Amino acid sequence: MDRGWWWKFGLIVAVTLGSIWFLIPTYYSLVVLDRDQRNNLAVLEERMPSWAPPAKYRLNLGLDLQGGIHMVMRVDTKTALQKRTERRAQQIVNYVNDKKLGEVTADTDPEKLEVTLTAKDPATMDAIQKEVLATFTDFKEVSRSGAALTLVQDESQANVFRTEAVDQAMLVIRRRIDKWGVAEVDVRKLGSDSIQISLPGRSNPEQAKELVGTTAQLEFRMVDDSNPQFFAQLLQATPPPEGSDITLTTEGGFPQLQAPTREAIISYTQDKVPENRVVLTECIANPVKKNECTSYRSYLLDRNVPLTGESLAGADANISQLNEPEVNISFDPAGAREFERLTEAGVGRRMAIVLDDNVQTAPNINEKISGGSARITMGRMGGRTFEEWLGEAQTLALVLKAGALPAPVTVGEIRQVGASLGDELIRKGGLAAVLGLGLVVLFMALYYKASGLIADIALLLNGLLILAGLAFFNATLTLPGIAGFVLTLGVAVDANVLINERIREELGHGKSARAAVDQGYDRAFWTIFDSHVTALISAFILFFTGTGPVRGFATTLIIGLLASLFTSITVTRVIMTYFVHGRNAKVVSV
Amino acid sequence: MQILKNKTNIDFISKRKPALFLSTLLNLAIIVGIAAFGFNFGVDFAGGTVVEVKFDHPVTAQEVRERAEKGGLPDVSVQNIGAADENTFLIRMGGVTQLNEESGAKGKEALEALGGVRNVYSDLANGIIRFRSEQPMDAAAVTKAVESAGIGVQEVRDLGEAQGGTGYDYQVVASGMADRVVAALGAGLEKPDFEQRRVDYVGPQVGKQLRNRGIMALLYSMVAILIYVAFRFDFKFGPGALVAMVHDVIMVSGYYLVSRREFNLTAIAALLTVVGYSVNDTIVIYDRIREDMAKFKGKPFAEVINIAINDTLGRTILTSGTTALSLIGLLIFGVGEIFDFAMAMLVGIVVGVYSTIYIASPLTIWLDERAAAKEARLRASGNVDHQQPNAA
Repeated sequence: MDRGWWWKFGLIVAVTLGSIWFLIPTYYSLVVLDRDQRNNLAVLEERMPSWAPPAKYRLNLGLDLQGGIHMVMRVDTKTALQKRTERRAQQIVNYVNDKKLGEVTADTDPEKLEVTLTAKDPATMDAIQKEVLATFTDFKEVSRSGAALTLVQDESQANVFRTEAVDQAMLVIRRRIDKWGVAEVDVRKLGSDSIQISLPGRSNPEQAKELVGTTAQLEFRMVDDSNPQFFAQLLQATPPPEGSDITLTTEGGFPQLQAPTREAIISYTQDKVPENRVVLTECIANPVKKNECTSYRSYLLDRNVPLTGESLAGADANISQLNEPEVNISFDPAGAREFERLTEAGVGRRMAIVLDDNVQTAPNINEKISGGSARITMGRMGGRTFEEWLGEAQTLALVLKAGALPAPVTVGEIRQVGASLGDELIRKGGLAAVLGLGLVVLFMALYYKASGLIADIALLLNGLLILAGLAFFNATLTLPGIAGFVLTLGVAVDANVLINERIREELGHGKSARAAVDQGYDRAFWTIFDSHVTALISAFILFFTGTGPVRGFATTLIIGLLASLFTSITVTRVIMTYFVHGRNAKVVSV
Repeated sequence: MQILKNKTNIDFISKRKPALFLSTLLNLAIIVGIAAFGFNFGVDFAGGTVVEVKFDHPVTAQEVRERAEKGGLPDVSVQNIGAADENTFLIRMGGVTQLNEESGAKGKEALEALGGVRNVYSDLANGIIRFRSEQPMDAAAVTKAVESAGIGVQEVRDLGEAQGGTGYDYQVVASGMADRVVAALGAGLEKPDFEQRRVDYVGPQVGKQLRNRGIMALLYSMVAILIYVAFRFDFKFGPGALVAMVHDVIMVSGYYLVSRREFNLTAIAALLTVVGYSVNDTIVIYDRIREDMAKFKGKPFAEVINIAINDTLGRTILTSGTTALSLIGLLIFGVGEIFDFAMAMLVGIVVGVYSTIYIASPLTIWLDERAAAKEARLRASGNVDHQQPNAA
């Protein structure tokens, strides 16, 4: 036995043991843990032995196998863009009037996203055109005839806006689902205008649709600080119910209630607030996981909503001259007037920015703000890094925009699978895989005898490698994935059939056992390689063009084909070589 | 054990012309069939709603259909799936939301009757009615009006005042069909005697997108494989492999056409897998042909191909046999689309073997003969070029 053989043998043993090691989290999550704990990584980590791989490397079950809702929401960027065009047109008109460049009216074409400005006095149009194009750089000129100037939104600007609209919708959807309290939710972008949402364990698609399909509601409400001790007194007068974990905190200068859940605060304060007042909560974000709230804090707010997101024209995060992050917001003319009135009356008070009934922030009003634009400074830096500090400003800007520019979201696709159906499919899929594998293993052993058994070892190792590979890539096993698993094993057998048939042929030509095995492998190699590469090509294309279950199928196929190349060429050859070279067998049992 | 005891010497190649004729005829028939009848598109591609329900007592599809009709759902298709004693049914409806052309027109009338409403536009694709009103509207009144037209309302969205003060914009979002199914089947029952097991709901625009992506995936993979074959083998092998692939895809499409099984994303996956399998098989034999061409230098090309096919016949039968064997589990335990997937694969395996022998190889011979004839013509015209016609 030469050195190369031992090296290869060691590799195979290492790969086998490594695969088994990698399947420990999968084994624990699917077999050892209770069903409802299946997706709980913390519990999984706790139960597994310390030498096991991290819990996140486990084979997920697709929603079709564990039950839940898969949704694809389409963001109606077209409507949002139409709204934006109308708003910008109004801004242009205001600008022209404010600058006293002349008097214009605007007419928008929602289909082409065009704005046509018509000047009362054609002589002023030249000056207007120059000024408007220099100021509103997201527009460019389409045509000009006399007193009429037609502008269109710059396509690249429109694209930026479309992307933003989808990001905003995603943010809002994620926050809403967090409010719903679904664990393991997955929200991600799909293509250019769609958002994919996975809700494991949920069963009511209509409720889910309602939850994520509505547009965000942004409000500006005044904080009632007329009695700063309100919450402290409330807590003293009526102690909160046992187990609600409501405590008093004075972070930020005012006593506030703090509780681990939103419901605790809302139900406790219900009917205990003065008329025309309402209690809403702010989410205290988990410093590690950005989309989770560790606790909630209460605010006492005016019930009436003087200003909503409809009046907001824009919001952007900047770095101020003092090198501090801030958010600049601007209002449309009507909003600006209302904002001025509010800030004038409320100097020294706080104004809460509320999105979907969640207080985002409640900055202090330092002075009357006129002119329709305001700055929200982000407080002290505290223990944050500058990036985190700036990140908070950017998130706030995004939230404000999400409320200000409602891009309607519609349902593109919903797939819901009940948990009992999922269990049944796992059982049937598993049975199908075991039966298919068993039949092939049995047949190979009968047909090729010892060589068949060697092929069977390779086949079982192949199955192990696929599962470990899926776990390693944190892939999701779907029902079509199981079909892909079975099919790959069929293709892997083909490689062994090719080799064994070649060996038989070489033996038929009267070659010695050694020569027959070596030549059989050498000659079959390129055929096996070619056939695997072509199959891989179609698998990769399937992966890149497919979504959902089809992608799961492609993933399984790709991992399976790579594993099959390894097992059929290297593994079986090492074993065969051991017998004919190492043990010097004179006959090949094939 | 050995399947083919003695070396076979079947003359496959001499029967290539009738086989080619028959294949062409069958392929054309399938293409015409697809054009005339179309596939039975699943909800993935056609859009619509599918609800899977399981009853806790024996019922027939006919009873389910009658119940749905009594509950006010006239246009549903009810299909029994799984074993007969499982009492599981797929209920399929064309609509995605309760808004369609007919109810949309009624909804428009009802809204306009409220007064001061104009520009009513039903966006059927998204299940939304948009309109502009002179005065701000009360959401409850809008909901009532739209529901009186038989459209379930999920939400009334207030889009605010239109710029320029021309009115207020609203959107009415119609609720989904799944709601109606459960309501219709449970009508008059105190407690539903069924469980809603699965809901698939695909908007028509998404359906179109999914369909286009599926077709593109098929085309891309064929082109990619063709490039690989042309690169690894002689150019004359490429077209044969391609035509064989197309042949197999059409034949498997024929399965979906004739059986009227649902053509959906899984069907596309099956077609792509068949492409991979078919070319896999073709390449194994091409490899052997190339090897034998070097071995039997003097023999005519057609004869070499015949030898290569006969030599690999044992392997061909075995490989397709074991792959079919691995599908048996899926055929027995697979429900719905997984069963269809396994069935389509089975068809693909059979036609894949056939197309390798009778489509890919003959086409390669034909291309070779044409090249030889061209060379002969060149030589006859005095343009002497001493190249072997069969040299690879």
